[in-house]
Amino acid sequence: MSNAMNFAFMREEPAPPNGRRVAIIGAGPSGLAAAGYLGCLGYQVEVYDKLPKPGGLMLFGIPGHRIPADRIQRGVFTLSRKFGVNFHNKTKICCSAPLHEEEGDHFSCDIRGLGELVEEHDAVIICSGAWKSRKLGIPGEQLKGVYSGLEFLFPIRAVKYATSNVSVPPVEGRTVVVVGAGHSAMDVAHSAKALGAKRVVMVYRRTKKEAPAGSYEVDRLIDVGCEWLERRTPLRIVADETGQHVAALEMADGNTGETEVLPADVIVTSIGEIPTPPFQKELGLENVRKGEVRWLHMTSIENVFVAGDVLTGPSKIGKAVYSGLRAARSLTNWLDLKAQHRENEYNYDADVITRPGAPSEQR
Amino acid sequence: MSECHGRGKTLHIDYSKCIGCETCEAVCGFLYDTPRIAMARTGDGQMIPIYCQHCEHAHCMKVCNRGALMRDRDGAVVLQPMLCRGCETRNCVIACPYAAFFATDRGVAVRKCDLCAGRRAVGLGPACAEMCPCGAIRFADRDELDELETEASREARDRVLAHIRPKK
Repeated sequence: MSNAMNFAFMREEPAPPNGRRVAIIGAGPSGLAAAGYLGCLGYQVEVYDKLPKPGGLMLFGIPGHRIPADRIQRGVFTLSRKFGVNFHNKTKICCSAPLHEEEGDHFSCDIRGLGELVEEHDAVIICSGAWKSRKLGIPGEQLKGVYSGLEFLFPIRAVKYATSNVSVPPVEGRTVVVVGAGHSAMDVAHSAKALGAKRVVMVYRRTKKEAPAGSYEVDRLIDVGCEWLERRTPLRIVADETGQHVAALEMADGNTGETEVLPADVIVTSIGEIPTPPFQKELGLENVRKGEVRWLHMTSIENVFVAGDVLTGPSKIGKAVYSGLRAARSLTNWLDLKAQHRENEYNYDADVITRPGAPSEQR
Repeated sequence: MSECHGRGKTLHIDYSKCIGCETCEAVCGFLYDTPRIAMARTGDGQMIPIYCQHCEHAHCMKVCNRGALMRDRDGAVVLQPMLCRGCETRNCVIACPYAAFFATDRGVAVRKCDLCAGRRAVGLGPACAEMCPCGAIRFADRDELDELETEASREARDRVLAHIRPKK
């Protein structure tokens, strides 16, 4: 067996071409899973991604010691060579916000409109993920030296694809404070340590037992020399004498009720992301989320489907994969029935109800 | 019942490589509606997949009064739903040392991994192993299991077993 994440796991060889073209926006776990499913069924699949390589946050967010990059790349290679999937990297599909607003936008050379894609293809699946970082909403967040989890992690991987406008956050010999206790906060702390930070302090508003990443992960960080401060609520980021750069984090200690000041050269707020769909309103994504649609995963624009974190908010690779596969299957059902003018025979309820024990669609 | 070749094949998860991303469970759930590999959260917050190890000396096969658990030609322990149907004892669920039988509330009483029997019949491997982003799941010959183990994998496996079978 090859050492690849085999997105085309449904078949050994692709089915004969069925003459249909599908565009997939986003080459993360949900987009690649959908591409694999459709490629197996004989669809001509075109995958668009803003980044220089397919893989999404499996490649650019999660550190390489957790997911081997070559395993993803081999899976992508199989998709493109054996299943005829075309990858259009560094291509951003019309965004809801101006370019250069999200992490990773600076890689895009080409911008194309969603309308164009809809016209050129039989169907489109939007799997663009959740890229905008949630903010703490406290004074001083705009200071230099304050990063979001993604802003901090993304360049570490992206810098390998050398472009002049990406640089690894300078942490060597410095004190890094990480706010949050999810998996990406753990990855930030490990990365900061690996990049030679003098001191890494984790700050979390609740206790170790409640950390989303689990106390085991927190203990591993403590093992490698990180410090753990719990029940601390960040209040304010203090500037240095120039007023430009971060100098400290002021926080409330939930144990004592007192305010304390933690000196910091770099602060990373790793408290989650929010979805960044193109054309949120036009697509009626709120209705798709609530399940108020006539076709599973289909948006209010006919032939346009949506899957993954862009729909559900940040989740896990497995949930994104599941969502991508379901959207791809729903899309094939839609096109098959539509070709025979039998759309009204579609049984939405049978499709949407996940049986007990099955991974839930949305949480 | 056909004899399997050699010592047969099985699934092997290296828990030291697993990041708890749930892809195995998701892919299994997509193919079979209800997944036969399931995520559990340990006391210290690690997400781990619980799975059938297709034991060479399988307790489940011994305790099933109906002979509904059989060894197939690749060495997988597979459930014959027509024989299982209607059994209320769930002896297999209780006997499994890896908690890899899952009770259901409809049709046959339990579900379990069959190493993707339908896929194997057409030359494909188990889907969870194909799609694992980390390469933590292997569809392996039982004879090569020893080679797959490392110090880290053994330590991680012990942690998982401590969760499945807590000390009293």
